[in-house]
Amino acid sequence: MQPRERFIAALERRPLTGRVPHFELVFFLTMEAFGKVHPSHRNYSQWMQMEEQERNLHRDEMADIFIRTAERFEQSAIFMHPNPDTVEEDIHLIDRIRERTGDRYFLMRHGDATFSIPDGTQMTGFVYRLYDEPQKVKEEAQLRVDLALQRAEVLARHGGLDGFALCSDYCFNTGPFLSPDQFSEFITPYLVQLVAGYRDLGYYVIKHTDGNILPILDQLLAANPHALHSLDPQGGVDIAEVKRICGDQVCLIGNVNCGLLDTGTDEEVIESARYALAHGMPGGGYIFSTSNCIYTGMRLARYELMLDVWRREGNYPQSPTSTPPRKSHD
Amino acid sequence: MTEEILDRIYDGVLRGDTKAVTAGVQAGLDAGLDPQQLLDDAMVEAMEEIGHRFENNECFVPEMLIAARDMKEGVAVLTPYLADAGVKPLGKVIIGTVRGDVHDIGKNLVRIMMESSGWEVVDLGVDVSPEKYVAAVQEHHPRIVGMSALLTTTMSNMKLIIDALENAGVRDQVKVMVGGAPVTQDYAQRVGADLYALDAAAAAEVVKTLAV
Repeated sequence: MQPRERFIAALERRPLTGRVPHFELVFFLTMEAFGKVHPSHRNYSQWMQMEEQERNLHRDEMADIFIRTAERFEQSAIFMHPNPDTVEEDIHLIDRIRERTGDRYFLMRHGDATFSIPDGTQMTGFVYRLYDEPQKVKEEAQLRVDLALQRAEVLARHGGLDGFALCSDYCFNTGPFLSPDQFSEFITPYLVQLVAGYRDLGYYVIKHTDGNILPILDQLLAANPHALHSLDPQGGVDIAEVKRICGDQVCLIGNVNCGLLDTGTDEEVIESARYALAHGMPGGGYIFSTSNCIYTGMRLARYELMLDVWRREGNYPQSPTSTPPRKSHD
Repeated sequence: MTEEILDRIYDGVLRGDTKAVTAGVQAGLDAGLDPQQLLDDAMVEAMEEIGHRFENNECFVPEMLIAARDMKEGVAVLTPYLADAGVKPLGKVIIGTVRGDVHDIGKNLVRIMMESSGWEVVDLGVDVSPEKYVAAVQEHHPRIVGMSALLTTTMSNMKLIIDALENAGVRDQVKVMVGGAPVTQDYAQRVGADLYALDAAAAAEVVKTLAV
C-alpha cells in the first residue's frame, strides 16, 4: 500500500499492518532541513508582476519543499499551504505534487470556515457581536461555509485533492473559548454543514483544534469529521480517554506533546511519543503526530527523536487479524 | 433598600445586563449610597464571582468580557462621584507579551480582569523587549509587572526581562507575575518570577494582596 492508501485506511479506521501512518500539519524547519524558506513564510508581494515562467519556478520549488518534507520524514500526507492563497495556486500546487509523486501521498489543504478564537485585538468586538447582533453573526457564519464549499467544488472538479484540514482553534488549555451552549449556536451548525458538504464532494475531513476539547467533544463528533487532530496534552487531553470515548467513531491524530518537544528532556519526549502510540494505535484509527506542528524555533533533533520512537514502536503486527480487537461501543 | 440595589447591580453584571447595571448604579447614587460601596460591594464582587466561575469552567471568556463591559458602563456612571470621593486605583500594573511573541488573547484578558478589579493597567502590547519593560517600570513605577507568552520558544524571554529589571536596579521595586499557555508554577519559580497565574481570573486573584 502507498502511504496515501494507508493514511486513508487510518482515517476510515480500517485495520493496518506495518507502521502507523504519520504526518504533521506543518513542518516549518525547512531552512534547517533543506536550506529553503517555508512557503508560508514567503512574501510574494510582486507575484502578479512576475512573468509566468518565474512564477512557475516558485511553484515548482514550493511543491518540491512539500514533497521533500514528506519523503524525508516519512509522512503519509502532504498538507499544502499555497502561497499566494488562491484557487489558481491550489491547482498549480496540486498538479505539480501529483505529477511528481502520483498517488503516493494524501493531499490536503486548509478548509475551515467556522469562527476560531479571535486574536486579542478582535476578541472583544467579536464577543460583543455575539450578544448584540447574533443573527448577523450567524449570517456571516453561513456565508463563510457557502464560500468554502464553492471553492471545494471548483477543486473537486479539477481533482487531485484528497481532503481538508479544518484548523480553526476553538479551545484554550483550560477549555473552549465559547461556552458549550454558545458553541452549539454559533459553531456546530456550520461545522456540521461544512463537513457534510466536503463529504458529499468526496473529501476526507480532519478537524483540528488546540486545547482542552473535552467540554465540546460531543459537538465535534456530531459534525462527523473523519479525524480529530491535536488531542493536546497541554490542554489536559488524554488520548487514552478520548480513544475510550470515541475511538470507534473517529480517527485520532496527534497527542505527542509539543511543549515537551521544545522544553522537555529527551526522556519526556520519548515517553510522550510512546504514550500516544500505545493508546492511539490499538484497534486502528490512529495517525502519529505532534499535538500541533513542527513550529519555528523547535529543534529538528527533537522531531527526529520522536520519529525514532515511532519507527521502533509504531508498528502493527504483520497480520491484521492479530491486531487486538477494539471493544465495540455500538 | 441598600442590599436590594447592590443585588440588582451584582446580578446585572453576572447576567450581562448592561441596562440593569447602569440603572442600578444610578438608583444607588440617587438613594445616596456610597459610590465606593457600589463599586466594591456590587460590581467588583460580581467580577470576582465571574472569575471564580471562570476558574471552575462554569463561565467562559465571552461571559467574562460581557460582564466586564457591564462593569465599565457602571463605572462610567460612577466615575464623577468616585473622583469627588477621592477613590484611587488599587495600584498600577504593567503587562505585555514577551519579545518574539505576538499572541495577545491571554494578555488582553488579564488586562480586562485587572481593570475590572480596580487596577490601573499599562499595556505594553506584544513582542515587548526587556529594554521596553525596564523603561516602562522606570516611567510608571508599577506595583506589578506582568508577562505573557504563548510559545515554548518565547517563554524563555521572561527570564531575560527579569534579568534586565535586575540589572537596571528596579527588580525589587516590583512583583513579577508570569502566565501563558506553556507557563507553569514550576517554570515561574525557575525564571525567578514572584507570581504565577493560570488564567486571567487567577491573575486578578493572586494580586489582591498587593493592592496599595
